[in-house]
Amino acid sequence: MIAEKKKGVITRLESAGLVRPLVNKMYSEGNLAAEEGRPVAWAMVNWWEGDIIMRAMGVTPVYPENYGTVCASDGIVQKYMGVSAAEGFPTHLCGYAQNALGYTTEMKKEGQVPPDAPMGGMAKPTFMLCSEGMCDARYKWFQSLRQYWDVPIWTLSFPHPDFYDLQDESIHQINIDYMAAEIEGFIAFLEGLLKKKIDYDKLEEMLANQEKVFQVWWEINDLRRAIPCPVHGRDFWTMMVPCLYQAYDPQTLAVYQAVYKEVKERVDNGVGALSEERYRLLFAEIPPWASLGFFDKLAERGWNFVAESMGYHPPPPMELPGNGDIKQRIARWTYWFYISHVYRASKKGYYIAGAAQPYYNWAIEYKADGMLIHPVVTCRTATFWLTHTINVLKEKLEIPGLSIQGDIVDITLFDAASALNQAPAFEEAMDHFRQVRKTKGLDW
Amino acid sequence: MMTQGKLQGLTKAVDVYKNRYKRLRELRAEGKKIMGYVCAYPPLEIVTALGYIPFRILGTMDEPITKADTQVPAIICPMLRSMLDLGINGKIDFLDGFIGAHTCDCTQKFSHLYQYNMQLPFYRFLDVPHVVHKPSLDFMKEGIRILQQSLEKHTGQKLAPERLQEEIKKHNEQRALVRQLYGLRKQDPPLLSGVETLQIVLSLLCLPIEEGSTMLREIIAEVKSRPQKIQKKHARLLLWGTPLTETSIVEMIESADANVVMDDICTGTRHFGLDVELTADPLDGLAKRYLDDLKCPRTYREATDSFAADQEARFGYIAKYVRDWKVNGIILESMKYCDTHGYEVPAIKAYFDRLGIPSLYLEHEYTMVALAPLKTRVEAFVEMIS
Repeated sequence: MIAEKKKGVITRLESAGLVRPLVNKMYSEGNLAAEEGRPVAWAMVNWWEGDIIMRAMGVTPVYPENYGTVCASDGIVQKYMGVSAAEGFPTHLCGYAQNALGYTTEMKKEGQVPPDAPMGGMAKPTFMLCSEGMCDARYKWFQSLRQYWDVPIWTLSFPHPDFYDLQDESIHQINIDYMAAEIEGFIAFLEGLLKKKIDYDKLEEMLANQEKVFQVWWEINDLRRAIPCPVHGRDFWTMMVPCLYQAYDPQTLAVYQAVYKEVKERVDNGVGALSEERYRLLFAEIPPWASLGFFDKLAERGWNFVAESMGYHPPPPMELPGNGDIKQRIARWTYWFYISHVYRASKKGYYIAGAAQPYYNWAIEYKADGMLIHPVVTCRTATFWLTHTINVLKEKLEIPGLSIQGDIVDITLFDAASALNQAPAFEEAMDHFRQVRKTKGLDW
Repeated sequence: MMTQGKLQGLTKAVDVYKNRYKRLRELRAEGKKIMGYVCAYPPLEIVTALGYIPFRILGTMDEPITKADTQVPAIICPMLRSMLDLGINGKIDFLDGFIGAHTCDCTQKFSHLYQYNMQLPFYRFLDVPHVVHKPSLDFMKEGIRILQQSLEKHTGQKLAPERLQEEIKKHNEQRALVRQLYGLRKQDPPLLSGVETLQIVLSLLCLPIEEGSTMLREIIAEVKSRPQKIQKKHARLLLWGTPLTETSIVEMIESADANVVMDDICTGTRHFGLDVELTADPLDGLAKRYLDDLKCPRTYREATDSFAADQEARFGYIAKYVRDWKVNGIILESMKYCDTHGYEVPAIKAYFDRLGIPSLYLEHEYTMVALAPLKTRVEAFVEMIS
């Protein structure tokens, strides 16, 4: 019985443990900066468009989106969401936003970080940095915070070309030029606010480090195409944090290089993340952060998650042409992150799926047997395409999908037990469609 | 049966409102081309200048969503889901093209999915920035230029700036007529009810510009000369919020001893309230009007002085409506799952609290059946104002 229970359990990467100190540093440095009188920004995830600029200006960003996951794991999120609702914010808004709105209300009431705030809370911002990128909450939420924090706000621009446009090369430079012009505006905003000039040498150094981080983290994920897959999604979600928030940091590069070495060794020796990989799955989009143990239960059944969470992946090696101007380069990476799935697929000849393209590509490249989607009750951005995506994968590639609803912070909305009850039937579907794919000439 | 083209004035507006696709089908049968679009952001001047009749695609609260639910989860904007449903179910089968837009995140995604399903002969997507910095205005202008070029290529016509200027004047003329129409509601009691106004405005979204303007002139004359029809009531309300595609919510409010005398919705003043400035390069005027002048919560405006300055920048124009239309209460209406409007609620409420104007937030499910409980709240609100 014991041996059977252990079968299929995830073999976590040892090097993934190196990530923890980086994550801890990220959570603590905001409070440290505030204590030392250095500027702190509340920042949205901005896919590298603003982070290194802030860092080069000596600003320490803290990320309320991330803090939402901390509060979810701690359980205090329910309190903060209640406070947000009492302030008049609708309860369907982004769970991370509700958490931050509630937290801020409490902080203003207390006149300090609320005593029950996990991980020391978030220090008062000097300014706030929104991003237009990918979802409306990421500028509306900070605009709403304006009534609590009377501090300046800047919003980073982020073009959203249509999927049908991404094969039109002329569109790309227009979009990048626009972003670069807006980045120039952001630098001017910071210089005015902080009364100092940006150090372009430092910025260049950070960007160079960031580009190396992208490369190695992308290579790690590319290695996951191996059968068996050497890295389970659980390790991905742990390891994606430094790339998303600390790509400027040489320590991040060193950690990823260590991770790469371990993953490469696994691939070279045919070692997978599960002792028996029965099924290879994709996952979209945001996981139930407070219930990640759910994936361990699925791993016991031989479900290996081989690619997941499009928004947390690094951009692939750059294919867009462009000049070496640093603002253009910063813009180009963020833009490339956004368009690369469709762009690359069209070059490879399997552009077909529009918004479902990232998962369509991964289904082919990672030889997926199934897809698990997690519609998130308080996140329309991460949820909109999920049904369409599993429809496309089923119609075009004979890959079945399973939907399990939950939330990013509200742990009461995720029912792991009933979700697990669906696993046996879904395995039958994955087995069946394996046969169907073979009859249709697909090679997995 | 009489064609809608031969009807006049209010009769026509009501008929077009009730049978929204009929006139468009008549026109298409005559060889005209119809361009569907989303939101109030695509510059319609370019669409009409190149020979299309613009039709704003809207959902309906009247019909349950069926096939769209197999493509879009239920936590997404119900109006967009309904719009997709009407398309998939063949109810909107008269389009020759579609202009999508990045106005909110869900509308952007909807635009792509709509074209993915409908495969219309012409499709163009307008990427509208959320900010109004100088580079954003340049970017908006570039997006409009690309839209124009795409449509020129599709139609084989070249659009001269002078021709576009003429078209802008024609649209501005209609906007001026809508403002005149809204002006009929300034007196107490208003000459036109909120329900009638919404019927007229929604019908305009389904008619060629000249035909709509002719209808507006007839209506204005008709209303001015008809016996006073609207009763004086205790509350003169302004309705702020998400698009209204039917009159049911306004009917519900006006049945509660209130007149809806003004609105700030995008099937109302946001769509028709502002002219396009006639600039040397007409695209400059269009970019400014559609990105900066048009006030929708989807656009972010930095105000660095204070929260009060921020509120003034966001809601000051509504305060002017309140003064000019002698409004004594505001209904903040939003369909569920509209994040763009949802985030605004505490700030706009606080703003009007400060001005001493009471407000009521009503969140609805975008279905007729769910309106009854809201009526009780509206009645209590009106009683409080009284």
